[in-house]
Amino acid sequence: MPEYVDVDVRPILRAGGEPFSVIMAALERLAPGQGLRLFATFKPVPLFAVMANKGFAHAEQALDGGEWEILFTPTETKSEPAPTAADGPGLDDWPAPTVNLDNRDLDPPEPMVRILAAADNLGPGETLSALLRREPVFLFPQLEKRGFRWLGGFTPDGATYELTVRAPS
Amino acid sequence: MIGASISRWTMSYFAMALAWLFLALSLMMAGVGYPFAEVASPDTLVLVHAVGIGWLSIAMCGALFQFVPVLVAKPLFSEKWALPALVLLTAGLVSLIGGFLSLGGRLPPSLWLLPLGAILLVAGFGLVVVDLGLTAWLRPAGPARFVLAGLASLCATAAFGAVFAFALAGWAGSAGNALLAAGIPLHAIAGLGGWLTLTAMGVSYRLLSMFMLSPDVDERQSRMTLGAGALAIGMTVAGGILAIGLASGLSVVLSIVAVFGLASAALYGRDIAGIFRARKRRQLELNMRMATLSFASLAATALLGIALVVTDGFAAHIGPFAFLAVFGWLSGLVLAKLYKIVAFLTWLETYGPVMGRAPTPRVQDLVAEGRATKWFVIYYVAVWAGTLTLLVGEPYAFRMAAAAMTVGVVGIVREVIRTRRLADVASPVRLPGGAIAPHLLFARN
Repeated sequence: MPEYVDVDVRPILRAGGEPFSVIMAALERLAPGQGLRLFATFKPVPLFAVMANKGFAHAEQALDGGEWEILFTPTETKSEPAPTAADGPGLDDWPAPTVNLDNRDLDPPEPMVRILAAADNLGPGETLSALLRREPVFLFPQLEKRGFRWLGGFTPDGATYELTVRAPS
Repeated sequence: MIGASISRWTMSYFAMALAWLFLALSLMMAGVGYPFAEVASPDTLVLVHAVGIGWLSIAMCGALFQFVPVLVAKPLFSEKWALPALVLLTAGLVSLIGGFLSLGGRLPPSLWLLPLGAILLVAGFGLVVVDLGLTAWLRPAGPARFVLAGLASLCATAAFGAVFAFALAGWAGSAGNALLAAGIPLHAIAGLGGWLTLTAMGVSYRLLSMFMLSPDVDERQSRMTLGAGALAIGMTVAGGILAIGLASGLSVVLSIVAVFGLASAALYGRDIAGIFRARKRRQLELNMRMATLSFASLAATALLGIALVVTDGFAAHIGPFAFLAVFGWLSGLVLAKLYKIVAFLTWLETYGPVMGRAPTPRVQDLVAEGRATKWFVIYYVAVWAGTLTLLVGEPYAFRMAAAAMTVGVVGIVREVIRTRRLADVASPVRLPGGAIAPHLLFARN
């Protein structure tokens, strides 16, 4: 069994915050072979695909009160069963981005325009990643209307918002 | 859903607010109310409430229905309350103004209009406060704290106003009469300083850093600005009521309030200067250049206040002081931001659905800044000239200044309507790929 580092994002989620960057920051601090034990207030299905991409298998376990404990284990250790339980069509496979946009120095609303333009050119199930200065609050409803999914959060220093958008498959 | 959609009734609020502004400007041009009547006369009360509630508060509420969800990245608690609130506010203000006209003998005696107006206004502002408060409460950080403090001040302002309305109708007993006799400054400070100024500060932090590509103001820093402002308002309300109850010490309380108020304005100036210095975007848009004239007016208001206190002329010149705060600082900022907000929302509503699928214009293509600049300049120069005419006691020159302000506002409103109608967008990209032109007075979201 590998060692697991505990990351509890429940307080962030309860406060209405976005835990993605915290999880990614914890991931970067892991020593080789170490895994991540995540506590969340819901089952973070989109995260499974992101983590699978980074070489982690997951095993989830429901806790009391609708909360979840998820073990992310590096697949190299082979100590866990094969990754990515399919939970529903289109939720379990977030491939590496086909487009990477750095929109940090564009005047608003240009970042949104470029993301929507790039998103409309994605093939089914493909993803794009974008770096922004702010949480793109006006973009989300537009993405939703077009059937896109997304995952985003600020980096730990709060200066950059990382957004991943996935086209409907 | 995460994120913010377009607020359906913000344009309706803006339109109603501008209608009240035109009414107020017409009264000033016609010589109704201050400076042709006493500051506390019924005619001046008509003018002050048409501006404070009709123009500034309704415009601010409309902006907040759009802006608070953006601040917290969550939908408005209830979109359905916005229109009933606007109806209640309008009906309440009409009734209140009817009451003032009757108080001044311009209408047959019907003082019951005052309490009726107060009840309707409290109901309307109540809907707004609960709706926005519950939304802002979801993420009470940074600018959202200013909005919450502003909403609390709005409650205090409305409560004072309601007591006054009942007292003027003779329904408030001796306590109400005592408050009416000495408490008008508390009502004015809570309204202009707390509700309108603290909220405008909070909104400007985010709008400025957003449109100039500047990092957000450090939370510890803005918290001091808010702390000083909130202390001033808290002191006004609690200390003011206590002093009136004890029948002594009100001037001491107001002096302390002035110190906190000045500290807050100075800290705000420091914060705004920081945003300008750290901006990545060197070229400023019109709304930002005009906002700087509004900040200058706020600084001038503070300096004028100090100068009047030092020369012992504050009580005699409260009129020009309030005029500069209301029309230079608050109205100037609201007009400049309204110009930008209408362009942005119109752009988002029209082109959001087709963005990325068809060539769309930029937000800047919806406006003609060169043409709009002169109207803003006319407006600000007229406001400053108007302040001078009030300081030197030239009421007829003041009417000329009011006429020039009206010319400026008519020009700005014409530009805003052109923006909403997409009149300045070149035809190939005006309505691409099935885009639908927006309605003038509400959003089809």
